[in-house]
Amino acid sequence: MLIFTLRRLNLFIFTLIVLTALSFSLSFLFPGDALINLTGQVNATPEQRLLLIEEYKFNSNIFQQYWAYLSHLFDGDLGVSIASHLPISSEIMNLLPATIELSVVALIIAMVVGIPLGFIAAVNHEKFADNTILFVSMLGYSIPIFWLGLLAILIFSIELGWLPSAGRLSLVYEIEPITGIQFFDILMSNSEYKWQAFQDATLHIIMPACVVAMAPMTTFIRLARTSMMEVLESSYIKAAKAKGLTFWQIIHRHAIRNALVNVIRYVGLRFANLVTLAMVTEVIFSWPGIGRWLIESIFQRDYTAIQGGLLALSSFIFIVHILSDFIYAALNPLAREHNHGA
Amino acid sequence: MARENIYQEEEFPSPLMQLWYNFKKNPMVMLAFGSYLALAILAIFSPILTPFSSSQSHLEYILLPPAWNDDGNVSFLLGTDKLGRDILSMLMHGASFTFGLSFIIVIISAVIGVLIGSLSALTSGFKSSFLNHFLDVILSIPSLLLAIVIVAILGIGLSNTVLAIIIVLIPQFIHITKNEVKKEFSKDYVLASKLDGASPLRLLRYSIFPNIIERVITQATLAQSAAILDIAALGFLGLGAPSEIPEWGAMLSNGVDLFYIAPWTVYFPGLAILFTVIATNLVGEGLRHALKQRKVY
Repeated sequence: MLIFTLRRLNLFIFTLIVLTALSFSLSFLFPGDALINLTGQVNATPEQRLLLIEEYKFNSNIFQQYWAYLSHLFDGDLGVSIASHLPISSEIMNLLPATIELSVVALIIAMVVGIPLGFIAAVNHEKFADNTILFVSMLGYSIPIFWLGLLAILIFSIELGWLPSAGRLSLVYEIEPITGIQFFDILMSNSEYKWQAFQDATLHIIMPACVVAMAPMTTFIRLARTSMMEVLESSYIKAAKAKGLTFWQIIHRHAIRNALVNVIRYVGLRFANLVTLAMVTEVIFSWPGIGRWLIESIFQRDYTAIQGGLLALSSFIFIVHILSDFIYAALNPLAREHNHGA
Repeated sequence: MARENIYQEEEFPSPLMQLWYNFKKNPMVMLAFGSYLALAILAIFSPILTPFSSSQSHLEYILLPPAWNDDGNVSFLLGTDKLGRDILSMLMHGASFTFGLSFIIVIISAVIGVLIGSLSALTSGFKSSFLNHFLDVILSIPSLLLAIVIVAILGIGLSNTVLAIIIVLIPQFIHITKNEVKKEFSKDYVLASKLDGASPLRLLRYSIFPNIIERVITQATLAQSAAILDIAALGFLGLGAPSEIPEWGAMLSNGVDLFYIAPWTVYFPGLAILFTVIATNLVGEGLRHALKQRKVY
């Protein structure tokens, strides 16, 4: 386990270096002045500019510039937004939790619905249930997410009026942001209307989260189905059958656990895809997350924001990736041993 | 495979023909394959086939509902949009953007990805490990985010979106080619020709490529459905095709403002994307299944 941890740590550091190098090089690739792109100081006076050049070592070679950029990053200084002149780091701290909330809830929905469906399909292999589930999963995999979102708004918000169509929380409730994750904030606040606010937040998140969850859910159906089918063909299931266990005993005690381990392995890999979907969904549902902010930044030519957002979002995804690797390794001793260059 | 053939002459179909026999067994897949070919034809010949020009606006018929509606007009089968353009013609013309471009995107990125992937499979040690980590990093960035960054560098527009999606798809092809080539390299038949003195490049060209090309094609169909969705998503967000081009995603975003008055301007482009992606996915699924079947023998 120690070697495994060290290897992951190595990977993590490497990733951070590549990501920061990428985001640093973006300031040269984006149109306009590299220093302005990096710092976001559009209206700097010549004296301020000289100061910035000194601070970011723009008068020396590229490695020193990169090092200066890194040390700014470690101080939590990502520059200021070209559009709003607010520090990028505080913007990200406001917006990233909303995206985390949405994507984690969507991930939970996708897993809770998708994995059992996949197991059901595998148990009824090549029967009616299997074919239906596969057909539905093909449909869910192919549907364009923005279209699904619009249809969901039309049906559930406009026609039926069950769910709100935009935002995270009704403006009626005033919740002090502490962690940024709305549900925790509500529970920690001492408002009288805590439970109403909690219900309202739940109603707000249901629709966007379900829309985001649709495509990952179908992937989980497939993964769970394949992994369950593999497990059902293995020798220990045959042994259990020979022992005289009933079908459901086999499934419960032996098959599900072993099949689940294989599914968990892919959670991290699928997470990048899920965040992509969440970014589009944020635009449709006016969810105040980092995806919507990034897409708006393009129209405002806010290059500092794009750099910072890229860095924040990719590191978040990578952390989830590594966490899921750890969970998988903790559950499956076989994965800890020979896992070269993963 | 047990031989129970009573005939003297035996004819074994070539691997490609075996694949085709397996592929055509499933009627659903064949239906999808037919739709796929029809879309390809539409993408090439749409300027000849459309009833109207896709940019011609009929000012006397603005926001006309589809023909089966009481207010519809049969010469505009699927209605018109807010500028009086015929939606059927726009959809047909849009096939060459959304579907046709996705095809080109996948071919270009597959060629580049396979080249880099197979060359990188020949490396080992530090270089290989560096590339592995690098690919991991790139694959962990959400594809849309990467596309947004590239569009931010190059500027908004359809050709820049195409370039962005090509770049986004390349790492997937590198990854799969690399894994497949590595897997094949450890097999005996490769060792045999290596002992005959074949150079690594010759091994790749004559021994390995014929064996992995089908898996690359399967990956390509998956990549194509992703590319279609990406083109449409970027068009919808206003980062891709400008609104005068009848790209399906851009058409959809044009219709969003009028969603409640004229829902057909949103329904039909969405259905077109859904149909195309399902057809592409089913063809890919059928190919994968046929490959698996062929391996059984």
